[in-house]
Amino acid sequence: MRRLPIYLLIDTSGSMKGEPIESVKIGLDTMLRTLLNDSLMADFSYISIITFDKKVSNILPLTWVKHAVIPNLVPPNSGPTFLGAALELLIDKVDTEVVKRTNSCDGDYPPIVLIMTDGKPSDLSVFEKMCERIKKRKFSKIIACAAGPLSSEEQLRSITDNVVNMCTLDSFSFVKLFDMVCSKFDTNCEYESEAMENLPKEISI
Amino acid sequence: MNIIKLNALDGTQIEFDKDSQAGCGAMKDVYFSPDKSYVVGFFRKPQDNNSRERLQTIVTNYKKMLFENEGGKNIESLFCWPTHIVEYNDGNKVKIGVVCPTYDKKFFFASGKFKGKEQEGKWFASAKLRNKFLESDVKGNWLNYLQVCIKIARAVKRLHAAGLAHSDLSYKNILINPLSGDACIIDIDGLVVPGKFPPDVVGTPDFIAPEVLETMELEKNDKNKKLPQRSTDQHALAVLIYMYLLYRHPLRGGMVCDPSDSDNDEKLLMGKEALFIEHPTNNKNRPLLSSLSKDELPQGNIDLLPYTLVGPYLKELFDRAFIKGLHNPRERPTADEWERALIKTVDLIQPCPNPKCEAKFFVFDNTKYPKCPFCGTSYEKTLPVLNFYYKPRSKGNFMNENIRLMVFEQQSLYKWHIDRNIFPNEKIKDCDRKPVGDFHFIKGKWWLVNRNIEKLVDVTTEPHVEILKKQKVELTEGRKLLFSNNGNLRLAIVQMANDKKRK
Repeated sequence: MRRLPIYLLIDTSGSMKGEPIESVKIGLDTMLRTLLNDSLMADFSYISIITFDKKVSNILPLTWVKHAVIPNLVPPNSGPTFLGAALELLIDKVDTEVVKRTNSCDGDYPPIVLIMTDGKPSDLSVFEKMCERIKKRKFSKIIACAAGPLSSEEQLRSITDNVVNMCTLDSFSFVKLFDMVCSKFDTNCEYESEAMENLPKEISI
Repeated sequence: MNIIKLNALDGTQIEFDKDSQAGCGAMKDVYFSPDKSYVVGFFRKPQDNNSRERLQTIVTNYKKMLFENEGGKNIESLFCWPTHIVEYNDGNKVKIGVVCPTYDKKFFFASGKFKGKEQEGKWFASAKLRNKFLESDVKGNWLNYLQVCIKIARAVKRLHAAGLAHSDLSYKNILINPLSGDACIIDIDGLVVPGKFPPDVVGTPDFIAPEVLETMELEKNDKNKKLPQRSTDQHALAVLIYMYLLYRHPLRGGMVCDPSDSDNDEKLLMGKEALFIEHPTNNKNRPLLSSLSKDELPQGNIDLLPYTLVGPYLKELFDRAFIKGLHNPRERPTADEWERALIKTVDLIQPCPNPKCEAKFFVFDNTKYPKCPFCGTSYEKTLPVLNFYYKPRSKGNFMNENIRLMVFEQQSLYKWHIDRNIFPNEKIKDCDRKPVGDFHFIKGKWWLVNRNIEKLVDVTTEPHVEILKKQKVELTEGRKLLFSNNGNLRLAIVQMANDKKRK
């Protein structure tokens, strides 16, 4: 089956300690629950988590959402924010993990990327370079989520026009996002959904 | 009058009347401003640097984060949020105070024996207090309590989304007005942020999460000690919602853990041994009818009024909160899930045909012989149910969404029923709040009138028939209605429940 990869880039630097990381945790929880509650999305969504602080690590490799467990996120007391390096790892992962479309194979859907950060990258020159490289690749959607009371959205706008504040995200925000991404996929595919008693699961008119 | 003038830390001039004490809480003495538009509450104990920094952040950054982002304006009334910090030297020592708006008029009893008193949620959440003390004109109906719960869940959702935890959610810290379906969270000054602002209190009895009670005696630095945080708010929220919808406590049943020591018994009942009174397979904590006083009935009778009367969406969340998640905080439903399930439940509501029914509304359970669970009155008419489907992809079929609307006389159809991209939460636009259709029962038939639906097409059979504005369509078994709004499609399939002719 074609997969929809969802890459989550999570800032775990010192400045995320406190409200920002708590906001990220509940946001991740809400996103995961929304995905699992949507029988269609749950079938083909895959999640990968890349954290970044003074180092970058892929703490959850691309995993089917039904098997994904979000590791505990504990930011250190202080330290830099290598968002540029995280974007570099993202590009590398997207280039190697996402199955490309060929004549004989449909390939995966273009990935969704969610970046959750307070918006202050420390590796600015790498960051700028990576923003350019990101633009050359195909994504279903890139969304930057500004987290915490002191977050800044300015830098995030160089990656994407879709910048939202983490503190307004709820399940409905994710329903809308996934609907929008999903409606662009033009394929017919078989899917199971929970039908209410005496009602058909799906209907064509 | 003994007016004291002060400058708040942000420079704003604050006045309070030292002769006009508004009240005294557990931690603060509270005074009115001369015009009574705000109050100043002085902490009796000195506040350490961490608490002062927390207060400062609450009146600045947290306030901005909550109320100046999308939907923020619509949640302001859900909180009594501190506005300024003051310092006052009363001659002996310098005291720290917080300035808060005075509670809205609607949160005070307007008549009866409690006239002028704050409408603390507690009055409305227990069967005993409701049955014994409250006059029927202040109690409100069951639908009102769903609305109160939506407001509470929404407020907690926004706190949590901002990375904050309340840490002491209880019916004492929430004022409610059932008649208007309003709620307001008070006592915001104890907000908790893990790793930054630790909790001051363990919470209020009845609402403290089991793991907090269980580990209360551990040393402060023991890493197994569980403190109030988001997951304990989630426990308190589930208890609150259960109490407002069923008027009993979910963990106070017939079980006794330590007959010789009542303090220890309480600690075990709410802590380590806590057990849902309506647990489906373990009946150790089922309430003993014989030991309930007459003021606790009928609400205390779980056979007569089982928690399943709240409908399928909320039942599932109660199961997670009190069965799976009672001792496993990660399983507890989030405030967001409660808000969503409560909103979906509003669409399952039916008015009770009995004019004397106190609840006035109930969740239609879709059984063969439906009746109001609160007063036992049978529902006689046929009942149209709209089952909603959406189209996830541009090609392909409509999919069942597990969302339905139970129709009743003169009910309205709203944009959120016909467009999946609109949801009635705090972020909804004003233009999307107006009804777009209504339902009527005329001479034994049910009709939907199109008032302002962009496009409504009856697609039951070919050829499809468009129902223009001001026109109506009859609701019959199997009818398929296609709504479009802003290019978004939603399909409703009509089922006729309680159709005696078909049985």
